[in-house]
Formats: sequence, structure tokens, C-alpha cells
Amino acid sequence: MTVTLRQMKQMLLGGADCVISARDELTDIDSRFGDADHGITMEKIMTALKNAVRSFGEDGTIKDLMSGISMAVMTINGGSAVPLWTTLFDGLAEGAPDRIEMSEEEFRSMFRSGYETLFEISRAKKGDKTMMDALEPAVDALCAAAGGLADMIKASAGAAEAGARETANFAARFGRAKNYGERSIGTPDAGAMSMGYFFQGLAEGLDRDQ
Amino acid sequence: MKMKKFLNDPNTLTAEMLEGLALAHGNIVDVLPGNLVVSKALKDADRVTIVTLGGTGHEPALSGFVGDGMLDIAVAGDVFAAPNPQSCFEAIKLADKGKGVLFLVLNHAGDMLTGNMTMKMCKQAGLNVRKVVTQEDISNAPRSNADDRRGLAGAVPLYHIAAAAAKEGRSLDEVADLSQRYADSMATIAVAVRCATHPASGASFGDLGDEDMEIGMGQHGEGGGGRQPMKTARETIAIMANALVKDIPLQKGDRAFVMVNGSGATTLMEQLILYKDCVRYLESLGIEVVANMVGEILTVQEQAGFQLNIAKWNDEFLRFWNTPARTIAFNK
Repeated sequence: MTVTLRQMKQMLLGGADCVISARDELTDIDSRFGDADHGITMEKIMTALKNAVRSFGEDGTIKDLMSGISMAVMTINGGSAVPLWTTLFDGLAEGAPDRIEMSEEEFRSMFRSGYETLFEISRAKKGDKTMMDALEPAVDALCAAAGGLADMIKASAGAAEAGARETANFAARFGRAKNYGERSIGTPDAGAMSMGYFFQGLAEGLDRDQ
Repeated sequence: MKMKKFLNDPNTLTAEMLEGLALAHGNIVDVLPGNLVVSKALKDADRVTIVTLGGTGHEPALSGFVGDGMLDIAVAGDVFAAPNPQSCFEAIKLADKGKGVLFLVLNHAGDMLTGNMTMKMCKQAGLNVRKVVTQEDISNAPRSNADDRRGLAGAVPLYHIAAAAAKEGRSLDEVADLSQRYADSMATIAVAVRCATHPASGASFGDLGDEDMEIGMGQHGEGGGGRQPMKTARETIAIMANALVKDIPLQKGDRAFVMVNGSGATTLMEQLILYKDCVRYLESLGIEVVANMVGEILTVQEQAGFQLNIAKWNDEFLRFWNTPARTIAFNK
């Protein structure tokens, strides 16, 4: 079984929609220990992603799609989320094949590459209360899941959501919230939540396609 | 609560502000696509040039310090958010006059990520750039752990000192080393008595109640300091200046620069009272204040409070400081 460019586009559009629909919740979470704009920023990033997917040419590959999204996100002004999401898509592009379809194994290594590239610049590990708390378990689950694409994506969505919710138990160690340390316990991390919604939306996008 | 701010559309705050900046100060700067605020003096520059980046909502910083004798280009992001790496890369390319570019970055998560990514792009393009980070907020980490210290208003006098050295014909390495020495010689601490609201979302950065202040608020109300009952100007200065003097450290016989930076809703009357108290406090320790900045330099919307920045100065800093500057918000 293969994963096609068309499926990938549907998944990404679904991911973007899911994050955008959580805009107000994300901003509200961010107003407690951040600067009250995460929902606004993510809406900008995900709108750029959608535009890049929709305007993607007929003759491009999956690698081109991921690079195109990375370039589109890079030109937005949105604080730390912009270089972080740019880097994630850079990593996905690096790991993606230069074709219009890929094997499930290639799909897994694409996400592995996205995670590893982002880790190189963020240096945040699980438990640090960042977007990595959702991304890392999502990629692990995606790589470990048996079955087809739908099972992989469903497993990763569940793991990302659980990872995001779990950040409520941690004290922030990165970004603006780290200055609040222990006081941030009880509130989930806005960046982890948006990553959780993104993976949830990937699954919804795939459903929509089928 | 409804925001009482004179705005049109939360989505175009930065664009409208920059349009206004260009209309008001078109003799000093041009505003180019990508939110590049570019000094008119850049055109004929034959020297090391200076670029910085940062979010908006802190006016006059950072764009207000673009002009002759300070910044050549400030890349504006969005409200409290760093600009994108692509715009910073374009700015550095535009600024490069063959003598190299000093890239100044304040230590905030988004600014640093963008700064690092920009440097990677510059390296790939073979550009001659040195990055210097200012990280002088003493409230959340000791000097030995400077990476956790935020960059506050102390970067602003550095713009003028670095630009003066560049104008004198110093090389990029000389200007960057001087800037690093300056960054290492200073310290800042902030206090807030009333929090700001985000002008796009209307969300508040916190609530300090009617009777409290918080020392160590950082730039956007990040917290990390001591919440305590409101004190007089003199008592507040004694707490803050004492912490800065110990951190730098300053000793009897040293010369100092002092900045009182109103964060948006603290009156000039209060700022001048605070400055006087700081000068007197340092005098009592045998420290002479040789230069200053008092006013709204790097604000946080309508936050009430101020940043106190003290730097240990020598003949070199003082000589560069006493040169002309003609920018939007700083003239000498």
C-alpha cells in the first residue's frame, strides 16, 4: 500500500483546519503564561500552509510539497512558532521522496526526519512542556503502529493528543513560560496543544478523503 | 472587558503602525516590504552596518532607533513576535556594504530561533555577519547562566556605541567585540505595577491587583520576580539598583550609565523622580553617573512600570556615546 500526494494534501488541509478551529482556545491557553497570541499565530501559519497546498502545481512531488509549505511558513511574522514550523516542514521535505507517492515505510521515515530536524534546533525533550511533547509520541506511535495508513495516522493522533494534555502536569522549561516554572503546572502548553490538533486533523483529513 | 485602544483592525496593527512611521519620519527612514525599516543613511554608508530584529508593540523600540548613528535596518515582526528569517536575511543582504554586518539580537525565544536560522542562511550565502546577543535581565538567572537572561532595553545605548565605532572605520570584528564587551558590562531589571493587554487579542498579561508590584517582570510580563506591596520610588530604586550593582558588579570609583525606561503608562514625572533617586543612590556608593537615558524607550503597550538599566562605562564607551545621532527617537 502506498501513500499518495493527493492523500498527503488532504491530510495537511485537515490538520490546518483542525488547528484553525481551535484558535480561540489556543490563544486563551497562551494568555496564562505566554503573550496571548498563539491561536492568532497558528491561524496565520496554517492559512499559509493551506494556500501552499491549494496552489501546489500539478507536476510537483511530495518533497516539493513539503518544501513549498516550509517556504510559505518562513515568510510569516509569528514569533517562535514560525521558525519551528518552518524547520519541521524542512525536515519533512528532507525525509520525503522526490515522487508523487511513497511507501508506508517512507511515510514513517519522513515524519522521523521532521521530528529529528526540529529537535536539532529546539533541543526540547519530552517533559519540557513544548510542542515536542506532542510531536515525539505522535511520531513514535506512527512508526510503531501496525496496519495501514489510516491506523498509523489514528495512532499518532491519539498519542499527540495525550502528549499535549499531559503537558499540564509539567513545569515549563523553554520559551517565555519557563520564567513561571512551577506556576505553569495545571495549564497545558499551547504549542503542544496546537501540535496535538494538527495530528488530529491529519486523521480527519484522511477520513474526508476516503 | 472591552479594550479601550484606538485601533482599526487587529490583523493590520503592525502594517498600519509602519505606514504611520514612514509618513511621520520619511526624512529619516524608508519602510520596505518585509517590514524592513531602513535608515536613509544606509545609502552612502561605507562601513560596518547594523541590523536588528524584533516584535512590534514596543514603540519607539526597535524601529525608532533606526537612523544616522544607530541602526541601519530594524526588521519588524508582528506584535510581540519575531519577524521571519527570510526578511532578516534580506535585510542583512541589503545592509551589507562590503565591510560586514553586525546583527544584534535580544535574547527571547522567538528572536533567537529566527536569529539562528538567519545566520545559517547568511553562512550559506557567504555573507560576512557577526551576531551579538544582549541578555541582561538579572531577574531569572545568574550571570553564569546568561543564556536564560532575557534581552531588555539595555540594547538601545549599544546601538549608538556600535554605530559610532563603525563610523570611525572599525572592522566588523572590532565592532562586534566592542558590542559584546558592552553587552557584558550591563544589567537590567524591570518592575510592573499594572499589566498591559495584547492589542490584537485584548487578552491581559496578568493582574497585579490594586496594591502590588512585581519586580522582575521581564518585557512582556513573563514573571519570574518578586511580587510585593507597592513601595515608594526611593525604596523601589534601592531594591533594584542594589541588585544591578551587585550583578555587574560596580564599585566605589566606577562610572555608570543609567537608563530609566518607562514601560508605557508610567509618567515622565515618575521617571524623573526615579532617575534622581538612582543617581543619588549610586552617589551614596561612590559611583558616578556619566550618561543616561530617561524616557519611553522600549515600552509594552500600556504597562505601568519601568526598566532600570545600569552599565559600567569606560572612556571608550563614553567617547563613542558623545558622537552625533539622528534617529526617530534618539538625537544627540
